[in-house]
Amino acid sequence: MGIPTAPIVTIAFKDLAYSNAAQRGMPHERICFTPHPVWGKSDAEMYAYLEGNDPVTHKPLMPEIISALTKPLTPEEEKSGTVTPPVGPEVFSDTPDNLQNYYMNNGMTDFMPIILPTREKVEAMLKGTSHAPDEPVGKMCPAKGSYPEWSYNVRNIAVNAVMAGCDPSYFPIVLAIAASELPSLSSSTNSFATAAIINGPIRDKLNMNYGIGAMGPFAQPNATIGRAWTLLSKNCGNCGQPGQTYMGTFGNTCNYNNLIIPENEKDSPWEPFHVQKGFKKDENVVSVFFGMDIRQGQNGPGLGLKPVPHYQEAFAFNFGTCAPLFGGLIVCDPLVANGLVELGFKTKEPLLEWVWKNATISVKDAKTTLFGLRFSGPEAANLPDDARIPIFRNASYLNIVVVGGETNPYHMVANMSYRGSISIDKWA
Amino acid sequence: MNRRKLLSLLGATPALLAGTKLEAATRKTGATASSSEKIEALNPNGTPPPITLIPMAPRLKTLDGKTIYLVSDGFPGADHFLNQIAIWFQKHMPSVKTVYRLKAGALPDDDPKLWAEIKAKGNAVIMAIGH
Repeated sequence: MGIPTAPIVTIAFKDLAYSNAAQRGMPHERICFTPHPVWGKSDAEMYAYLEGNDPVTHKPLMPEIISALTKPLTPEEEKSGTVTPPVGPEVFSDTPDNLQNYYMNNGMTDFMPIILPTREKVEAMLKGTSHAPDEPVGKMCPAKGSYPEWSYNVRNIAVNAVMAGCDPSYFPIVLAIAASELPSLSSSTNSFATAAIINGPIRDKLNMNYGIGAMGPFAQPNATIGRAWTLLSKNCGNCGQPGQTYMGTFGNTCNYNNLIIPENEKDSPWEPFHVQKGFKKDENVVSVFFGMDIRQGQNGPGLGLKPVPHYQEAFAFNFGTCAPLFGGLIVCDPLVANGLVELGFKTKEPLLEWVWKNATISVKDAKTTLFGLRFSGPEAANLPDDARIPIFRNASYLNIVVVGGETNPYHMVANMSYRGSISIDKWA
Repeated sequence: MNRRKLLSLLGATPALLAGTKLEAATRKTGATASSSEKIEALNPNGTPPPITLIPMAPRLKTLDGKTIYLVSDGFPGADHFLNQIAIWFQKHMPSVKTVYRLKAGALPDDDPKLWAEIKAKGNAVIMAIGH
């Protein structure tokens, strides 16, 4: 733009601001800082920030802002050219224990022991795909548009799959997830989570668990494929460096191995999820989701009705506190799905339409949520405060998947958006 | 982490600066290996893009009589905060004209229309803020 600019950032984002400015080509950008937070402070408190000191330099803030716009540039600040960030050695050499510590202490693990990615193990992993080791797979960063994207090839992903404990037969699924370019660790302060629905015959071929405890720690492919997603996000996508590329205030236990959901196609009365998205039933597909969280739904209204509980009412109720920033994903046991068929929901579409219309919020409450009426359409602002409007933008923002071991007709709801489906077969 | 270290990183994770062969993995932990036999393990990192250094825009000699655009990135509270900056200028540097604008789109989105307006009508920008 060619116009002098003084960015102001709150102190909580100091490392992120400095490293992001450097990665974007302005390592000496004159960033000024205020105390944290600004959000929720009164005008008087904000003005006091301006009359006070920059918490980094401990100098008066407003003179510093003025100086950022008027002090002549240094030769370093006027520099142009290209810098190639170091990529490190191809191989680390040490004793196994020391290597475990090295990977852990340099941000390359999830702080649990890894399988050391020796040449032999990586070569074995590479046999799980027909693709060449140097073939590009994708690009990733902690938040699209906010960070430079790192690129990665098949070998990079194989190293991370080994570290996560994957069998080579799982490798096409890990590659498909990597090809989605969706990081499992977002930089947001929200502590986001991700999910992957797996469909197709590969679920049985790999002995994936889609029955009792499907989403728990009870099967190697379920556990390690999701773990590989997080490791590759850290190492190939520059994600998950707290303070710089990760700012989630709580973190999220889902990030250890994410929500891996092999659909229980056998016991579901509906067409499988990937068929809804245009794939054939015998194709192997991973579908990825991104958003807030997942929660149990046992407390919804309608669940006590007999002979068939009105599960759809509980879905709508449990979506009641969701953010419109994302969509909704219903995860239901086959008993629930079959009960819904008895209630007349022969396919998923009319069910999701019903849930969308009935998962509502009052206009008054919507106006005071963080996102206000931003996603509600222009007409919502003219409605009376006691009118109720859908939480989600439209029914296409809702999805449902069937999984579980039929030990009880339970469901969960996730405040997550569908981000696409990728062929696993393409990466076999 | 200090700024010098961050600048030296230029976007690289600490592991990328490890140099050549790893010989000093115990630097941080003092861990003792149970086996003295060394093995080789592969680097799991992807490839960061090259960084094109952008020269900063020339600075103004003074703000007196200049127009400063106060640009919100859309984070909650940024509008109120920038309004306080406008009040500060009215009180302490009344010759400075301030213009408030909300950057269009989602947080990371570009807003070329606004940048063109600023280039045509403004002399400087103050942009804020993250939460």
